[in-house]
Amino acid sequence: MTMIPVNVPKRDQSARMENWSRAFYRFRQSWLSVFGLAIVLLLILLAIFAPVIIPYPEHVLGTTNTAARFLPPSSAAWFGTNALGQDMFSLVLAGSRVSLFSGLAVVIISILVGSFVGAVAGYFGGWIDEILMRFTDLLLTIPSLILAMAVAAALGTGVGNMIIAISITWWPAYARLVRGEVIGKKEEQFITAARALGAGWPRILGLHILPNIMSPIVVKASLDMGFAILTVASLGFVGIGVKAPTPEWGTLLSVARSSMPDYWWTALAPGFAIFLAVLAFNLLGDGLRDVLDPKARR
Amino acid sequence: MALLEITNLNLAMSSYEGETHILKGIDLKIERGEIWGMVGETGSGKSLTGLSISRLIGSPPGRYLDGSILFEGRDVLKASDKEMRKLRGRHIGMIFQDPTTNLNPVFRIGTQLVDVALHAGSTDPSILGLTASASRGQRKKAARALSIEMLDKVGIPNAAERIDDYPHQFSGGMRQRVLIAMAMIGKPDLLIADEPTTALDVSVQEQILRLIHDLVEERNIGVLLITHNLGVVAQICSHVAVMYRGRILEAGPVGDVLKRPAHAYTQALLDSIPTVHTKRGELRGVSGVMPEFDL
Amino acid sequence: MFLYVLRRLFLLIPMLLGLTVIVFAIARLLPGDPVGLAAGPNATPEIIASVAKEFGLDQPIPVQYWNYLTGLVQGDWGVSIFTRRPVFEDVMTYLPATLELVFAALLFAIVVGIPLGLLAAVYRNGPLDYITRTVALGGIAMPRFFLGLLLQLGFAVALDWLPLSGRFPLIESTPEPITGLYTIDALLVGDWYSFTIALQHLALPAFAMSLSPLATIMRMMRASTIEVLQQDFVMTERALGLSSRLILFKYVLKNAMSSTLTVIGLYVSWLLGGTVLVETVFDWPGLGLYATQAILTQDFMPVIGVTLVIATIYLLSMLVVDILYGVFNPKVRYA
Repeated sequence: MTMIPVNVPKRDQSARMENWSRAFYRFRQSWLSVFGLAIVLLLILLAIFAPVIIPYPEHVLGTTNTAARFLPPSSAAWFGTNALGQDMFSLVLAGSRVSLFSGLAVVIISILVGSFVGAVAGYFGGWIDEILMRFTDLLLTIPSLILAMAVAAALGTGVGNMIIAISITWWPAYARLVRGEVIGKKEEQFITAARALGAGWPRILGLHILPNIMSPIVVKASLDMGFAILTVASLGFVGIGVKAPTPEWGTLLSVARSSMPDYWWTALAPGFAIFLAVLAFNLLGDGLRDVLDPKARR
Repeated sequence: MALLEITNLNLAMSSYEGETHILKGIDLKIERGEIWGMVGETGSGKSLTGLSISRLIGSPPGRYLDGSILFEGRDVLKASDKEMRKLRGRHIGMIFQDPTTNLNPVFRIGTQLVDVALHAGSTDPSILGLTASASRGQRKKAARALSIEMLDKVGIPNAAERIDDYPHQFSGGMRQRVLIAMAMIGKPDLLIADEPTTALDVSVQEQILRLIHDLVEERNIGVLLITHNLGVVAQICSHVAVMYRGRILEAGPVGDVLKRPAHAYTQALLDSIPTVHTKRGELRGVSGVMPEFDL
Repeated sequence: MFLYVLRRLFLLIPMLLGLTVIVFAIARLLPGDPVGLAAGPNATPEIIASVAKEFGLDQPIPVQYWNYLTGLVQGDWGVSIFTRRPVFEDVMTYLPATLELVFAALLFAIVVGIPLGLLAAVYRNGPLDYITRTVALGGIAMPRFFLGLLLQLGFAVALDWLPLSGRFPLIESTPEPITGLYTIDALLVGDWYSFTIALQHLALPAFAMSLSPLATIMRMMRASTIEVLQQDFVMTERALGLSSRLILFKYVLKNAMSSTLTVIGLYVSWLLGGTVLVETVFDWPGLGLYATQAILTQDFMPVIGVTLVIATIYLLSMLVVDILYGVFNPKVRYA
């Protein structure tokens, strides 16, 4: 049997570019979304350049300055100092690296694991789908914070363990999302066409389906970044997860609590940092959803 | 005194593109016992005229530039919101095109009927067969009894049981009957029907039109039947007004207008109706496109 | 309708069973040495062995699971290595406090959030709408524990309007325990004094928990109300003279509830699982604190017990949500 040569034209790049630039234009229309994006970029920059920007890097490394303990906010220390005389702003700035990195790691791992499970379940259907989804649903009934705390505590302290613990509770949501999307897409004609041309399931899933379901995943991921950071901070606040002297917003807040109410300002910097981060990612995620999800209306 | 007298009605609507003068000097007089058809293409302004009578067009985006709508002598355009609410449901009943979307899906039809009856009864307790001193409980009972009676009258079998059913348990034609019952339960003097049969099939259409006709005869009400279907007009209307682009081109008794149209547009509309004898390829329409517009 | 409920109740049983398997598996598969911790740093192998035997930890895992399951049904949920009390007793002691907190938070979020969201949609782009949208954005982003701290600083310390922490002052006697929820118990016997005290203590922690669900409920209601207001039947209702108040608060409200119900359901899990954050700040003696202490000491029987209880409560509340779906959307009942 001879192969009939087929002239398949290269994918039209310009159309895709045009789509993105149109989407970006619409995104720019909402000042809240732009604000969110700006803050997110600012946070990322701060985290990356933290070593250069931190006013008192020695405090982050553990040096104390007991003479300057519990100073209220001033021009020398914008958010005051803590029990050891360390500058709160520096600590929070250093903590941004931990928080952002952890949040990102959690979201990425959850997406990878969840998408794989969801894609397999959605694509193959049948008993594979049943088993995987029953398991996923059961995991979803267990309140995520408790599960994350239990796993984190059992695995031991450290950023890595904490990330694993939280990811274990987060991937099910992505699995469900991806499964739904895959089920929606797999019945479409272009998939049947691909199968007719002999594509195997990894190719179909990876090359054809997944690129087309990116939008809801991206939206969810950006919204989740904020909540991931919040969860990391929550674990830190309760005393599970990151250990001193690594600065982390949640642990900083927990420490600040013990010097309440007299030195209440020590709670401001870490608390506000968490709030700002979550707010920014929420605004960004909302903006992306308005732009990328055709079904969403204002 | 005419039941409804519209004089020189001028309405402008604003949208993203600015303000458009939609109704340009509408004159219409409806007496009791008359069924007025209002025909025209989509966008001619017929629905807006109907909605204006009940002042259902909001102040933005609508603005009345001139004219009056006298309902039993009182100018509707100058009435307050409270006064309008007293008219609606009680003196002016209204039904719309799609029976599926015009009934609230999560409530039993009885609930919706009773609420309209109670509203009408609050301005005029005699509707419910009660006096002003009747208690809330008595009113509710009377309203429910009246609702069952109305459902029966519009031809819903087993009315006493079906009153507690949900809209999705009825067929399209039945739902329209329910809506007619709702519009008529307050014993209004004027019924405005905006394309009541467009969403129904022909056999059901016939029944609904017959129902409206019987109601008119029985209660001597006036009807404004808005439609784009000349066939419907020919079937039950006593008078007809032809609308085009916000103006009434001609109006009069239905026999006169349809048999001896004075205006070329009316003639064109009549000509565009295909008959059994129309040969393939001979369909005629009216050229041009209507301006798009929404409420 | 009744059959619908019955069917859903039956489906609960296999879910609960599966839950016990998963929770038990996770608890046992995790690294950690509760026996070593309980026995103490100077324990000899004999002591360790006897501690292990005392808590049944020397058996193979499937046997342990079976023992656990049979015990569970009979009310024996194991013993906490830390408190040395039966887990069941501990859970029953701390559960009412957590339930009270979760109920209060959810109730507040619903009672305030739904009407505000509805009105924000009606008076779209008005001042109420802007306030609602701002609160909604800020509320979701605000961490519960930080909010709790701020509330304490503001209302308890600076203004001294409300107590700083705790559930009930030690010097006073708590209401007669009927449900275990102090506010309800006080109401049931007409004890206004205790009710006021309990409410004062409940106010700040409940609010800290409620802001996030309140925000989302408002947003959801606003969005669905906007959609419902565009439906044809609203026009018919207006055309037939029904008052705006009737149309909004009876007809539109019911239609808009369904999607908000989904949101409420999701938040029950969030609330139940996250009470520890607020319990810590306010010294509220609930399951969250109990579970955390157990987690930190790698005492897994209480962790399993608490997790199962909370997951079961969550499943039951999902059932309630499903039933309410049937109430708000009659088509679902006949499916």
